[in-house]
Amino acid sequence: MIDLTGYLVFSMGLYAIGLYCLATKRNMLRLVLGIELLINAANINFISFAAFAMPGFVDPLGNAFVCISIGLGGAVSAVALGVIVLAYRHYGTLDVAELRRLKG
Amino acid sequence: MFTLPLDILLIFTAISPVIGWVTPKYNRSKIGGVFSAIALSVSGIALYSLYKEVSVKGAIYVTGNSLIAGYLKVDMLSIFMVSIFLGLGLAATIYSMEYVENSSRSPIYYTLILSMISGMVGIVFSGDLFTLYVFWELMSISSYALVAFFREKWESVEASLKYLIIGVAGSATALFGISLLYGLAGTLSFEGLATAFTGTANIWLYIAAIFIFVGFGVKAAIVPLHTWLPDAHSSAPSTISALLSGIVIGTGVFVIARTFFSAFASIQEQWFPVIAILSLLTMFLGNITALLQTDLKRMLAYSSIAQVGYMLVGIAVGTQTGLTGTFLQFFNHALMKGSAFLCAGAIIHQLSVRELKDMVGVGRRMPITAVVFSISLFALIGLPPFNGFISELTLVTSTFQANMAWLGVALILNAALSAAYYLQIIRVIMQKPTLESVQKAKETPLLMLIPICALAVFIVAFGIWPDPIVSFAQHAAGTLVPGGLL
Repeated sequence: MIDLTGYLVFSMGLYAIGLYCLATKRNMLRLVLGIELLINAANINFISFAAFAMPGFVDPLGNAFVCISIGLGGAVSAVALGVIVLAYRHYGTLDVAELRRLKG
Repeated sequence: MFTLPLDILLIFTAISPVIGWVTPKYNRSKIGGVFSAIALSVSGIALYSLYKEVSVKGAIYVTGNSLIAGYLKVDMLSIFMVSIFLGLGLAATIYSMEYVENSSRSPIYYTLILSMISGMVGIVFSGDLFTLYVFWELMSISSYALVAFFREKWESVEASLKYLIIGVAGSATALFGISLLYGLAGTLSFEGLATAFTGTANIWLYIAAIFIFVGFGVKAAIVPLHTWLPDAHSSAPSTISALLSGIVIGTGVFVIARTFFSAFASIQEQWFPVIAILSLLTMFLGNITALLQTDLKRMLAYSSIAQVGYMLVGIAVGTQTGLTGTFLQFFNHALMKGSAFLCAGAIIHQLSVRELKDMVGVGRRMPITAVVFSISLFALIGLPPFNGFISELTLVTSTFQANMAWLGVALILNAALSAAYYLQIIRVIMQKPTLESVQKAKETPLLMLIPICALAVFIVAFGIWPDPIVSFAQHAAGTLVPGGLL
């Protein structure tokens, strides 16, 4: 059985990949995927902490939080995709580097 | 379910789209506005009874065992914050009745405003980080959609996308920090976290503190994380700019205060200097960049960043006087910046231009708006007969008491620096009109004038007679500091 450290390293790695994706990718849809990676890294943390809180016992608080958090993540993605559709209609591209008309 | 004011807001939010769709199209915006105004007023009445209960008992804990429930903690600080949210929300909805056209989308607008305000009310009522995070997302998602409300304008869409990406990355970072706290303590309630960490200074506690500070600091627009603010606040509809700038960024400051004075109270010594430096950077950068702007709304947006810097000064001092200054500044900033953005919105609505140079002399044609605008700008500088002076004085006094005089001196310097661009706005709008478009401008419609004038009356009233609001803020700040005067 893998111990808690393994899960933590995994979630930290996932968080780092998400940040890397947000920093380097130019496609808007990829940015949404990066955001989902960040949220899922935190969710994995919750699940693993809940499972390792006490031997033979899973804390329901962590699991409840993750259920709600997945729903919130879905809502965020929906709004993000809606705004991306609008941006595509205005700019005709999915490249965020093209969205530089506002100064500053 | 939750407490009465929050229940009322959530129920009205759920009903409002239905009301919107069944009403006839030509007066949809008016009916929606009246409906939202009723929701906010009823919630305000419920808040008053809650206030009386809290002032006797100190704090109320609501756990609830129905299907929809959360762990809530209602204390004086929550009541103080909610009264601001409802007040500015009411002003903004009355203003919106004239401002938002009777389009088929105006019902969505009021639903989003109500859900944003109920999200903020939920944030300040929540007793643990779980409930707080859920309401935080309710507030954030509504505000992303509201910034893009005028979806036929490219600038709204671009600003909204920028705001959304940065804001969601911030929320996810905060969620990661919350998960670390959960792993360390096994609980998420503020009291539980405070007792779990007394006397310990684990390295993971510092990491969690950084994650949570960065996560919630994005919404509060603390300097390295402020890049979304000028775009989002200047491209949103003016009512939304007033709400975002007046109360949403203050909510970020509130969450930082709430978590750092409970969960991270054991490592206070380490983070006070960090916040002091950040507040210094925030106010200098906000004020200096505002000086360079030519667009009226962008200028006001940058000045909001500077005002967040002032609020952080009180948190960096960390005494009860300092926190009183922070919350007082938050209250006054909601009044002043709300009024300033609504006035700017009225001018932009009448002239359809945003550049300051196209507004030369508009004050001669719109005298009431111009006078109220000048009052709010003088208050933002911190001139004596207005409320901004009281809060800035409290903040400066607290820095001198806590031997951090350099921070107080920086605040005074910044107030002087900010006078440069506020006075420039007043000079431009009060000049003799030269442009043809300005010559033909008319005074703001009555429905938009009422909330602006009401806010201006409060600005003057709380400047001349600040005692009630100062003692209210003092009680609110006392709930955070151990052994604070309640």
